[in-house]
Amino acid sequence: MSHRQMHLGVLLLAAGNTVSGWRLPEAQAGSQNYDLIETVARKAESGKLDFIFLADGLNSFPKMHPAMVLRFEPLTLLGALTRTTKRIGLAVTASTTYTEPYNLARMLASLDHLSGGRMAWNIVTGAFAEAAANFGTAKHPPQKERYAIAEEFVEVIKGLWDSWEEDSLVMNKATGEFVDASKMHELNHAGTFYNVKGPLNITRPPQGYPIFMQAGASDTGVNFAAKYAEVVFAVHQNMDTAAAFAKRLRDLAASYGRNPAHLKLLPGLVTIVGSTEAEAKAKLAELGALTHPIYAMKVLSERMGQDLSSYPLDEPVPELPPSTIMQGHAITLAETARRRKMTLRELRDFVGISMGHKLMCGTPEQIVDEMTEWFNAGTGDGFNLLPPWFPGGFDTFVDHVVPVLQKRGLFRTEYMGHSLREHLGLPRPEHPHANRATPRVTAAE
Amino acid sequence: MTKSSKMHLGLFVLGTGHHVAGWRVEGAEAGAENLALIERIAQTAERARFDLLFFADALNTGPKVHPSVLVRLEPLTLLAALATKTTHIGLAATASTTYSDPYNLARAFASIDHISGGRAGWNVVTGAFAEAAGNFGNVGHPPHELRYAIATEFVQVAKGLWDSWEDGAIVMDKATGRFADISKMHELNFKGQFFSVKGPLNISRPPQGYPVIIQAGASETGKDLAASIAEVVFAVQQDMQVSRKLVDDLRARAEKFGRNPDHLKVLPGVCPIIGESEADAKAKLRMLGEFSDPASALKVLSERLGQDLSSYPLDGPVPTLPPSTIMQGHAVTLSALAKKNNMTLRELRDYAAAAMGHRLLLGTPEQVADGLQEWFVAGAADGFNIMPPWFPGAFDDFVNEVVPILQQRGLFRTEYTGRTLRDHLGLPRPPHPRAGMATDAIGRTVAS
Repeated sequence: MSHRQMHLGVLLLAAGNTVSGWRLPEAQAGSQNYDLIETVARKAESGKLDFIFLADGLNSFPKMHPAMVLRFEPLTLLGALTRTTKRIGLAVTASTTYTEPYNLARMLASLDHLSGGRMAWNIVTGAFAEAAANFGTAKHPPQKERYAIAEEFVEVIKGLWDSWEEDSLVMNKATGEFVDASKMHELNHAGTFYNVKGPLNITRPPQGYPIFMQAGASDTGVNFAAKYAEVVFAVHQNMDTAAAFAKRLRDLAASYGRNPAHLKLLPGLVTIVGSTEAEAKAKLAELGALTHPIYAMKVLSERMGQDLSSYPLDEPVPELPPSTIMQGHAITLAETARRRKMTLRELRDFVGISMGHKLMCGTPEQIVDEMTEWFNAGTGDGFNLLPPWFPGGFDTFVDHVVPVLQKRGLFRTEYMGHSLREHLGLPRPEHPHANRATPRVTAAE
Repeated sequence: MTKSSKMHLGLFVLGTGHHVAGWRVEGAEAGAENLALIERIAQTAERARFDLLFFADALNTGPKVHPSVLVRLEPLTLLAALATKTTHIGLAATASTTYSDPYNLARAFASIDHISGGRAGWNVVTGAFAEAAGNFGNVGHPPHELRYAIATEFVQVAKGLWDSWEDGAIVMDKATGRFADISKMHELNFKGQFFSVKGPLNISRPPQGYPVIIQAGASETGKDLAASIAEVVFAVQQDMQVSRKLVDDLRARAEKFGRNPDHLKVLPGVCPIIGESEADAKAKLRMLGEFSDPASALKVLSERLGQDLSSYPLDGPVPTLPPSTIMQGHAVTLSALAKKNNMTLRELRDYAAAAMGHRLLLGTPEQVADGLQEWFVAGAADGFNIMPPWFPGAFDDFVNEVVPILQQRGLFRTEYTGRTLRDHLGLPRPPHPRAGMATDAIGRTVAS
């Protein structure tokens, strides 16, 4: 019996996911560090990961996360990475609030062509209101309006990607027929927020459409994901909450007439891997020393429901009465402390480093055991990895955790297909005007 | 005024070649989405030591347009891809100021400049085709003067954004935890007539300071814009004396704007058709004419004269038309050419179809080299934007047969001496406006 296999993506926040991971002596960093980014992308590909993923934002300010203060513009960065990777998916964040559908449709289609069908688009409406000031608009639209805009944007972009049927370029030298104009379709979209005539000036992406991804956790965001997203990112520290969310999302998707299996849910996962549990804990401590201890203790105390700042740091985590707030967090953290025999200091650092995401710290086998537990509990279809620093914090995962997953039949040993749709097991949308079988996606040479 | 002893050469890449029917030539390869072909062309141009590759762009399409522009890879993502397959050649593309936001475009070009190690160039256009408006809200394409006013402000904003961070802002001090030197960060706080942009940009200063700014408008407003901001001017010129006058005019205007006139390079377009004899070259042009789709060819001419010509008799004279509101350079030069040579509409159509209205240089390799040399030596051009009628063969011919002649005559480089596009073009790198100024605790410059 073949195992159900996980999907794995990696967030390439090039200064590492943790605010201070870049400060480790062995860390390399920089969201403008092309060599590092390319190296990590190739490492991810050698580990047969489904995709690398670029976050984005449209503003900068001094106290921002170091990976976000200065960075390559991601669509052009991926233009370069399409040529230096061959199989791995390439996921990019782009906002629907501050760009025009025609422009984004072209760029994503171009990237899908350049990469031979490996693109995904993480649809965001823009978390930071400060971005508005860079685009002339006085105010960032309120959340409901941003999502209404995003919904119309997605309809327009799909319509633009369908401007040309497959095989519309004839290029018959003998007859002089360059294009079959009957296979070109104007969009003529006249909507609330957009009027777009079309057609797009690029042919249909190899994947039909790049894959839609989404990460919003509000009700509006979840609703949007249920309607459109093929990959959904989520932030959960508690397994039961994660599983409940997965069920909620799939039920909602089904209510929109979608096949819930065509929605891949990937909770975020931070890993600290050591060849022994002690080694992993030592790395945790080292990272912890670089994070702000008072801030981390404050966050831990909130989550445990009690001020822990007066307890001895290097003793085991104390038994506490049940928390009245953040119960999920309290239970999960107490569980984790017990399981890994953590001191209070170690648990404090754990919280400071995890940044709200699920953090697994231990040997490769311990981590795979925990990943498997999550995977089998219905939390999703795999994980979106958030390495705490590069390259080591990711290399250890690829070099030591992936082989264990592979040995247990939980992860691929080879890419079987060329496109990201094939890696993720997602169907290719047919052209709405197609009256025959659509051609298979072929790789760019 | 010092004159460069060597000409500059750009390669204008259009995916099916510049001739409307170039794709039909035996041996021609085609496709503006044909990445493998485009990469080969790029590498050939780099081997030939061209200053830059140039990709045009537009924001609309339709069934009857030139096959090179029907569908294409989006230029900014393409430039980034080509950055990984080339090491020295400049990478320039057109981007419109009418249908984009300065923040997004400034990021993209800065990113390409970083990824390529300082080889980006931006051909600033306002958008010739009113049809583009239909893809961006359908509120109507702004009229000519307004488009240029927007463009002027747009470029100002882009430069201000590129200056958000002084050189050397990324510190990455592990010991202190300081990632970026915030004192080197500057908000822009631009409030203009068309744009309101706070900044800062979220990418550090491009290696070239700013990408090289290119411009191609030939109207009076276009020439003023070119003279005030352009470092490279693409021009459409058929007549050497007229071209010389344009060069002098642009340099004089540049001086009036307080610029060094040497820092403005004029590159007229040239479509070389090379044969073993002049007759052989002409035969190639005839062959191309026979392959042309007449409707596409007439559309190319109509666009350039600013009016739909489909109802005029083909074997009659070129009609006198009201002044064009778009592509004014083309309109003027093509009308003049038709008049000078008593051309019928059909003849002008076929000429325009060859190179989208640009100068055709027909002949043996020596004759083509002579044609380029003559203009260069006369001060009618600082170099040329080469527009092969089809790929790859017509371009290979130029590289294999004409470039060596130019090199032997000492008119073109045999090796790159620098790494950036500014190096190749002999253009200075703009220093950061605040370099060396004192700043307060939150990065605002203060009088020192």
